[in-house]
Amino acid sequence: MSVALQVAITGLAAGGVYGLVAVGYSLVFRLTGTIAFAFGDLIGLGVFATLLVAVGTGPVSQTSVGGARYALAVVCGLLICVAVGVAGYLLVVEPFLLRGSTVGWIAGTLALAFALRAVLQSVFPREAYVFPDPIPFERLGTDGFVEIGGASIQIRAFYVIAVAIGLALGAVWLLERTRIGRGLRAIAEDADGARLVGVPVDLFVPIAFGLVGAIAALAAIVASPSAPVTVETWPLVGVKGLAAAAVARFVLPWPALVAGLGLGVAEAAVAEVHVGSLQPGAGWSALLPLGLALAVLAARPPDDARDDGE
Amino acid sequence: MPGTTASESVTPGRTFSELRRALVEARRAWSSRAWLGTAVFTAALLLPLVLPRDVAVDRLAHYAYLAAAAVALGLLVGPGGMPSLCQGVFVGLGAVISARLGSAPLLVALACATAVAALAGAAVGAGFARLRAVYLAVATWLIAWGFALALLASPRIVGGAEGVVVGPGRVAGVDLTPTVHYELGVVLVLVAVLGTASVRRSALGLQLEGVGVTPAGALALGVPRGAARTRAFALSAALAGLAGALAVHLALVADPAAYGPLLSFQLLVACLVGGAASPVGPVVGIALVALMGPAGEAVGRLTGAETARFGAMLSALLLVAVLASGTGGIVPAIETRLRARSRRAAPAPEAPAERQARAGERLAAQGLVKRFGEHVALAGLDLDLEPGRITALVGPNGSGKSTALRLLSGGLVADEGRVRLAEHVLGALPARERVRLGIVRTLQRPPAFTGMTALDAVAVGAAADRPARAGRAFFATPAARAGGRRARADALFALDAVGLREAAGRRCDELTGAERQLVAIAAALATKPVVLLLDEPAAGAGAQEVAHLGDVLRSLRGDGLTVLVVEHNLRLVHDVADTVVVLDRGAILARGSPTDVADDPRVRAAYLGRAVPVADDDI
Repeated sequence: MSVALQVAITGLAAGGVYGLVAVGYSLVFRLTGTIAFAFGDLIGLGVFATLLVAVGTGPVSQTSVGGARYALAVVCGLLICVAVGVAGYLLVVEPFLLRGSTVGWIAGTLALAFALRAVLQSVFPREAYVFPDPIPFERLGTDGFVEIGGASIQIRAFYVIAVAIGLALGAVWLLERTRIGRGLRAIAEDADGARLVGVPVDLFVPIAFGLVGAIAALAAIVASPSAPVTVETWPLVGVKGLAAAAVARFVLPWPALVAGLGLGVAEAAVAEVHVGSLQPGAGWSALLPLGLALAVLAARPPDDARDDGE
Repeated sequence: MPGTTASESVTPGRTFSELRRALVEARRAWSSRAWLGTAVFTAALLLPLVLPRDVAVDRLAHYAYLAAAAVALGLLVGPGGMPSLCQGVFVGLGAVISARLGSAPLLVALACATAVAALAGAAVGAGFARLRAVYLAVATWLIAWGFALALLASPRIVGGAEGVVVGPGRVAGVDLTPTVHYELGVVLVLVAVLGTASVRRSALGLQLEGVGVTPAGALALGVPRGAARTRAFALSAALAGLAGALAVHLALVADPAAYGPLLSFQLLVACLVGGAASPVGPVVGIALVALMGPAGEAVGRLTGAETARFGAMLSALLLVAVLASGTGGIVPAIETRLRARSRRAAPAPEAPAERQARAGERLAAQGLVKRFGEHVALAGLDLDLEPGRITALVGPNGSGKSTALRLLSGGLVADEGRVRLAEHVLGALPARERVRLGIVRTLQRPPAFTGMTALDAVAVGAAADRPARAGRAFFATPAARAGGRRARADALFALDAVGLREAAGRRCDELTGAERQLVAIAAALATKPVVLLLDEPAAGAGAQEVAHLGDVLRSLRGDGLTVLVVEHNLRLVHDVADTVVVLDRGAILARGSPTDVADDPRVRAAYLGRAVPVADDDI
């Protein structure tokens, strides 16, 4: 029971971010037919830009930071995320889409990913960084942990889950209830048709590109203080989010979100498996979402291009 | 230097005459490119003798092995059109296996590593190669990450963060010093370039390119997409695995961190920068990627950054720059430039020995019914197509013509009724199997076959049913070489049959719409059909082109072929059809000679009632 609860909480906290990333991948895929391979690195950029503005690049001794500076840092991080997302779309996705070159945008987004990673690694060369937290969770409970049903759970985890699910609900609301969201869904269904009825496709798609990055980055910023952050963390989160999106067959918004949450919990469960004193699943848990996604992809029917115009 | 140097052409034949023929071919093929290739290869072999002291030969050897893996990837990316993002996995797999078998004789370890990598490649191909490029990219990207994570998660296999330490290795009494590795690497690159060039020319290469460039068109010709791509994946993975297995004895350690997604990305960069359309493109690409390392360090020193991570960034920038140029990579760009300057016509393919036209067979449909949900597309169609006769299927839009064609060709399965070819009941036989029996169709929109010559596009049809073993094609066995040659010879015949022989060397994207339609018909003819199903061949054709099409169809009838034409162009129908079948709302409205049908008041009503005039250019 206690283990199950612990698994559920840690899993949902991680899975919330995966779910948002999966929604982002799915939205971009539905809008443009492309996979934003740089998604994870874009999130990393947002997180580390926030870190830079909040405390700089030095070794962080203080784990907390003033509220105003933190807010400024988050805003800067998100703005950079949006800006790079939009610029990335305009530079390495759209030109190749117009030319009909699939390998072009695949390589272009991957190039963007590795370039972002190289920049971050140059500016943040240390193994790992401590991310500041404006909310002093460590003063709550026992050093920030609470005992529930025999399980010791980080109080932050509840906050992370709440924010991630809140953001996810916000994203769903944005998609389903607002004018922008309806426009985006119209583009996803039929870009040319949407253009004809006056949806500003050329404006919406790049903005969506930047926006989904920023939303996922916000969740990532909120989750970051829970553990040491490294430059390598976020590309992996991006890949797991992509796996979740593939498991959900890029269907928006609930399947992608639920797949992300589910994979988070499943991953936490695999990591918890004990054989004697060993925890053999810890290293392998990350493989679970990838394996599932590959199974779903392998089960796809062959993509027979339509054989005639009718 | 595809297909041009002696070492590839003198593969011993089975018989003396085969050997002599190979020698004659080799002498004929010994072009200026072959001289250039030989000169570059020799210079590369001699490079260590003149190398400055500060250039480490082990780095060069490392990049030579990477180049071999990139050349192998080029086969998938170039003709195959498959953006594989997991080539580094096969390199890593070869490296880890070879390192774990460190105590076994080196040759045994290399063979095991190659075999396992080939199996892994076949598995990836079988699982994902039939998917669209987007999904293939996602799957291979997940595999690349999964492999990296699995290596990290199994420290006992890969020796923890330090990796498995390997001895330097010894083959036939020769210690594998870095210089020996370098020479081995250069030879491996040469073998990879010549081998993949040979694959590109073979029947397998035609199948891969057809499916890669125009999936719908190639599938309609019966190209076995899954099998062809899986073979290409296995071959490419085997080469990468061998390169990795050798490289690990150079590095003396199998470092799990070296086989991450970054390696796969770098190999893809090399392919795209150098140009995967050419077998040597990836080698040029790796050379540039190798130069980015020192260049990045220099930038790092200038800017005083803490770490020299600029190499990866510069590679990324280089890639984006080359991609943005839209030239398809450096080597193809140079080749285009040279070709434009020399204006040399494509070499004329050798004349085919004998024409093997098959006589037509009778194709009969009885009571075909097809429903889409509530909508009845076809309500009991009877058709009797006879050899040496042209039947035209006409009718207003939505009358069921295309549905009928797809039921006959195997694109759809009928709800009721049956189709017989001679005495053979076809049942739910899929399109590919029907092509093998001799029923082939063309598409309403002719396949683009962008970047292929008309001859090669037609040869896709001729190669669709040829045995296409990857290993044989790679080692250019006489059978494999004959396969590619015969496919092109058949293609030339088919082009001749549609009156397009002089366009054989032209690129399909330079042809007019009507010419492309003829290329599509020729490709269908190249499968040696007994029944030819044509879907609106006159769409978009001018009056003169329609007249030419009529001549072509009449000559096919003269050969005894069974022909069905779905057509809106009633001038063509009137011109060539022996029997006209008029469909309306899924049922036969009239059947008879063109004159009888044209006079039928019900037909006139069906057409005029829907205001569809008897037009030439009704698309």
